[in-house]
Amino acid sequence: MEQWLQWARGPAFKFAFLLMVLGLLRQIILAVIGIAQAWNRAGDKTIPKKVVFQTTLQWLFPLKKLNNNRPAYSAMSVIFHIGLIFTPVLLLPHIELWKRGLGIAWPSLPHALADVFTLVTVAAALGLIIGRLGNKESRRISRVQDIALPPLMALPFITGYLAMHPVLNPIGYNVVMFIHVMSANAIFALIPFSKLGHIILLPTTQLVSELGWHFPAASGVDVSRTLKKENVPI
Amino acid sequence: MKKYAYYVEPYNETERPRRFLEAFAAILKHSNYGFVLDTYSRTSTKCARCACNCQVFEQSGDPRDVPCYRTELLLRVYRRYFTLNGTLRARLFNGFVLTDDYIDEMAEAMYRCTACRRCKFGCPMGVDHGLMTHLSRWILAEIGIVPKALVVATREQLQGKTGNTSAIPVVALKDTCEFLEEELLENYNLPAKFPMDVEGAEYVFFPAVSDYLLEPDTLMGNAAVMHLTGGSWTIGTGYYDGINYGLFYNDALLDRIVSKEAQEIKRLKAKKALIGECGHASRSAKAFLPTFCGGKNAPPVINIMEYSHKALLDGRLKVKSGAIHERVTYHDPCNIARSKWIINQPRELLEAICKDFVDMVPCGQMNICCGGGAGTVSVDEIRSFRTGIGGRTKADQIRKTGAKYLVAPCANCKKQLREVCEDNELHDVQVVGLHDLILKALDLEAYGITPPKKDDEGKE
Repeated sequence: MEQWLQWARGPAFKFAFLLMVLGLLRQIILAVIGIAQAWNRAGDKTIPKKVVFQTTLQWLFPLKKLNNNRPAYSAMSVIFHIGLIFTPVLLLPHIELWKRGLGIAWPSLPHALADVFTLVTVAAALGLIIGRLGNKESRRISRVQDIALPPLMALPFITGYLAMHPVLNPIGYNVVMFIHVMSANAIFALIPFSKLGHIILLPTTQLVSELGWHFPAASGVDVSRTLKKENVPI
Repeated sequence: MKKYAYYVEPYNETERPRRFLEAFAAILKHSNYGFVLDTYSRTSTKCARCACNCQVFEQSGDPRDVPCYRTELLLRVYRRYFTLNGTLRARLFNGFVLTDDYIDEMAEAMYRCTACRRCKFGCPMGVDHGLMTHLSRWILAEIGIVPKALVVATREQLQGKTGNTSAIPVVALKDTCEFLEEELLENYNLPAKFPMDVEGAEYVFFPAVSDYLLEPDTLMGNAAVMHLTGGSWTIGTGYYDGINYGLFYNDALLDRIVSKEAQEIKRLKAKKALIGECGHASRSAKAFLPTFCGGKNAPPVINIMEYSHKALLDGRLKVKSGAIHERVTYHDPCNIARSKWIINQPRELLEAICKDFVDMVPCGQMNICCGGGAGTVSVDEIRSFRTGIGGRTKADQIRKTGAKYLVAPCANCKKQLREVCEDNELHDVQVVGLHDLILKALDLEAYGITPPKKDDEGKE
């Protein structure tokens, strides 16, 4: 098991992390090219920059957006995101890894608070699943990834908690750490290939929706020509 | 056999999936939609928050009315046939195939949506489902699936003798305007004119052309305001229709129709387009004149409510405050409210002339659609759907205000709301335009005009 854990922490982690970085780089480059191209082709190049910027900020920090639609589910989602972002980054053992590897460090969460964060995140993941499957509309439109991702995201939190609390751990430190590292690796690897890509695309989506309405000046004429409908009566 | 709730003219029904994909491919090649579809495919989270914003879904409870579900109908086709990932996946797993039934499902779903874009404000990922409905309708229209009502109007506008959607010939237009001028003189002692073909005027006026048939009071209000404020405006007999159904189903037609406005402004050597109160006429000009007619060099567009509001602020428009005694409420047309373009202007005008103005909840940018948006109001055969499902939430909103006058500036909203009120037992509500009320509240004495003694002042 020791060796498996070494493998998960070493080559497997490097591979997954690199896949994530490269995949996200590809997505952001494609997004920037897409935005530039759409803007270049647009007949009307005036973009309401302020509105787009404000809406983007509102959705990056969606506290004002909670109350109107599915408030409980939305609140759960925000808590889940806070847990996902802050717990792993501010966890002391993780910072130790950064220190050992790259020699950088930053303040960490107190141990007890990190425990609370972890449990809350797991509970929020559970809440998201219940919210998704318990709601007729969202259940009907859910894909496999929509249902499978929250439990997968919760797995490193559960195993991390067990690793930190050996008394509660039924399966041994190495095994639980192996699951911990591998599930995190799986998440890294899946980010560019699933809806998790929104971690890098979210800041662009409001602009994309705005640009979507800025049609190229010749689009109508060109489409009619391609479909050989230029002189066809309506 | 009827496949959809609306009538479609007979069309070539062979090989629809192939022709659908050909049209889709042509559109993707020449437009920006591909990149938008890519982004939406990558980020869409399927959380169904959008469902809470949809007034159609709220009443129907039908899963196919969930905006995200409807958008997915299009995204699925896009991913399967136009992305490498989708093509490979289909090879490996025998995936989704576009069928006739699928096209029919899309055709039905896309015309249940009123493209009011309220759902966009609920989407954490910023997916604009209205844009997706817009695109889907274009593709469907290219293979022949489009409500007959929309085609017939556009055909008359672009190929007919009269060149407008209501088929009003120039003679009738002139007659109507002369009659309205007489009415203004007789009832208000106002020598206001509807100037025709005046070269070099500042504004060329494009109301929803149906106003000439259905809304004499709105037009008289428009003319009175222009007269009293000394506005330089004209109606071009070459083209006088603000309506643009291209906005609802076909970008190519949207382009051709909006270009007619630009041509008429050029012909009359005017500077700007003055659109009537109508919401969709305003948006199609404001957003798409720059798109299709020269970007920054396109003629600027203003709505007549903006004009009157400005005139009120700088004191050129004088009104009697509190002249309208009955309770008044205002319906925001989606096409001008979602972008926050025109929300406060009509309210400030109404507050200036009404004793009892109340707003609906919610209103403004987050208003609820009348249920007849995106051209569906013209489709008479779906009236029971429009007023029973699409417009029911609106009916409840109106009932709660207890208003007698419902001000609905848009020609589409007006027709729809009249039918909504009729079918939902709101018989006391009167649906009017904003300038109908302004006309009643004009402070004519301040302009040195003595209104003729008539007892219909009090009667209204």
